[in-house]
Amino acid sequence: MFFLQLRSELAKLFGKKRTYIGFGVFLLAQNVMLLAFRYSNWSKGTAHLLDSNGYQASDFISALTVAVLMLIPQILLLMPLYVMLVGGDLVAKEAEDGTLRMILSRPISRFRLLLTKWLTGVIFAAILVVSLGAMALFFARCWFEWKGMFIFIPVPGGQTIFSVLDASEGLRLYALAHVVLAINACTMLSLAFMFSCFNMKPAAATILALSFLMLSVVMEGMPFFADWKEFAITHHFRAWILVFSKPMQMAQIAESLSVLVAVNVTAFVIGATHFHMRDIKS
Amino acid sequence: MIELRGVSKIFGQRWAVRDLDLTVPRGEIFGLLGHNGAGKSTSIGMMLGQVWPTAGELRICGHDITRDRAKALHRVGAIFETPVFYDYLSGWKNLEILSHYTAPTPAERIKKIVEWVGLTGRENDKVSKYSHGMRTRLALAQALLPDPELLILDEPSDGLDPEGIHEMRLTIQRLQKELGLTILLSSHLLNEVEQLCTRIAVVNQGRKVFEGTLAEAKQTKQWVRLHVGDFAKATASFQADKLITDTRNGALVALADGVKTDALVRRLVALDIPVFAISPEEETLESFYLNLMQDSRAAKPSTPA
Repeated sequence: MFFLQLRSELAKLFGKKRTYIGFGVFLLAQNVMLLAFRYSNWSKGTAHLLDSNGYQASDFISALTVAVLMLIPQILLLMPLYVMLVGGDLVAKEAEDGTLRMILSRPISRFRLLLTKWLTGVIFAAILVVSLGAMALFFARCWFEWKGMFIFIPVPGGQTIFSVLDASEGLRLYALAHVVLAINACTMLSLAFMFSCFNMKPAAATILALSFLMLSVVMEGMPFFADWKEFAITHHFRAWILVFSKPMQMAQIAESLSVLVAVNVTAFVIGATHFHMRDIKS
Repeated sequence: MIELRGVSKIFGQRWAVRDLDLTVPRGEIFGLLGHNGAGKSTSIGMMLGQVWPTAGELRICGHDITRDRAKALHRVGAIFETPVFYDYLSGWKNLEILSHYTAPTPAERIKKIVEWVGLTGRENDKVSKYSHGMRTRLALAQALLPDPELLILDEPSDGLDPEGIHEMRLTIQRLQKELGLTILLSSHLLNEVEQLCTRIAVVNQGRKVFEGTLAEAKQTKQWVRLHVGDFAKATASFQADKLITDTRNGALVALADGVKTDALVRRLVALDIPVFAISPEEETLESFYLNLMQDSRAAKPSTPA
């Protein structure tokens, strides 16, 4: 029964056209960025950086390098927006449309309904991240050669990730980074899902969740909060970058992932508790 | 099938339902009457475990809805005032999805229900292409999927044209006759309730103001139509002699218990008031309902202590 209900939730989510907006925008954004990379001075700057560090630039301006570079703006801007848009819809849209009342006239428990909805959101977030990564790599490969990977990402707080990897190692870490990114996406979705369980419009749930992220970014950037940056959720979202560090900062990645999993559970519990207590009216 | 004992619900500072007792016996079509905001939908919400009661006990199909929701709703179907579905999916897919919230339902069962409600041939169309009448039929189909013993219909004719209302009325009658269902019908269409229900309850400002059979509702007062020379003088005299209990519209009087029309005629003759016509007036549900509402109109909206 549980899997039938989960299948139903997936059918509802993937039956909606707006679910695919995120995929479409990613597709468009990636190709625009690729054109910019191909025909701008970007590659000259990267080549200079590699040359000045003693590497042969032509070996590392590759599909893998470009794919990672394309990920950064998408992860910062597009992914939170589309994941939270879906997360905010999961419960609030059904409540707004009135279909929630019809579902809750059936003998399904509220907790079980929420669990299937949340799992549906998690599956969506994972599919979105995997598609994002696969599409980025596919389109980058269309324009750039398959060679070694070069990573240069300055992290707020002074740390800079600089790595030069061969293609197979680069691909392995690229895949691993997407596992971490999928957990980031689930956490963003869980935040929007939590607000969605309250009596509010779907757009309000999305906006509140986005505001929460913005607040975290702002607070993390203020010197006053430097000693408490671990309390900012966005600090832990950067664990995917640490995957490319040499040597890999396992302890820090594990800490961040633990925090993110805890945020997921907390958001679900808060949402489920409120949803259980509230009255569902037309 | 439905038992409510001392059920109350407070939203903020407002009593939506106050100390409601209600019993719907098996096999009946029971009408829940009341104007908008009277507490009908809140009561139905509580019966379906969607609204938490502030106080009281609700038993559906013998089970406490707040403690044993799954068992209580296992064989219950419900339709709400505006049938809403996943418009971007087909009617069939909607039924399949909704059935999964109760129990796995074989395709044969869905097909049979689709036939029963008359949607065969259109079940694979997207719901966005359905007319209001077809949506109502789909709503009925989803309510029938769990093979219910009890059907809760909250304003099922809302938004339907006269032909649709007629069709819905016939369907409700068929449901009771052919499937033997117990039906709770919430409506403010008095004509519909009068034609369908055997028992009714009337709620006003969250309180039950009447519960009984339709016949009892119509017999609460025995009305007599008087066409006389001076109605005001006649009724003043009747009231002084305690022959009547009420007057209405300058033409109707309600006889006191044990009083027959001949007593009025004798009194009118004694007063030398010309009598042109005197005849018993049958109480309609509409007149009963309006009277009941008029009686409780003086009561102010209640707030919790």
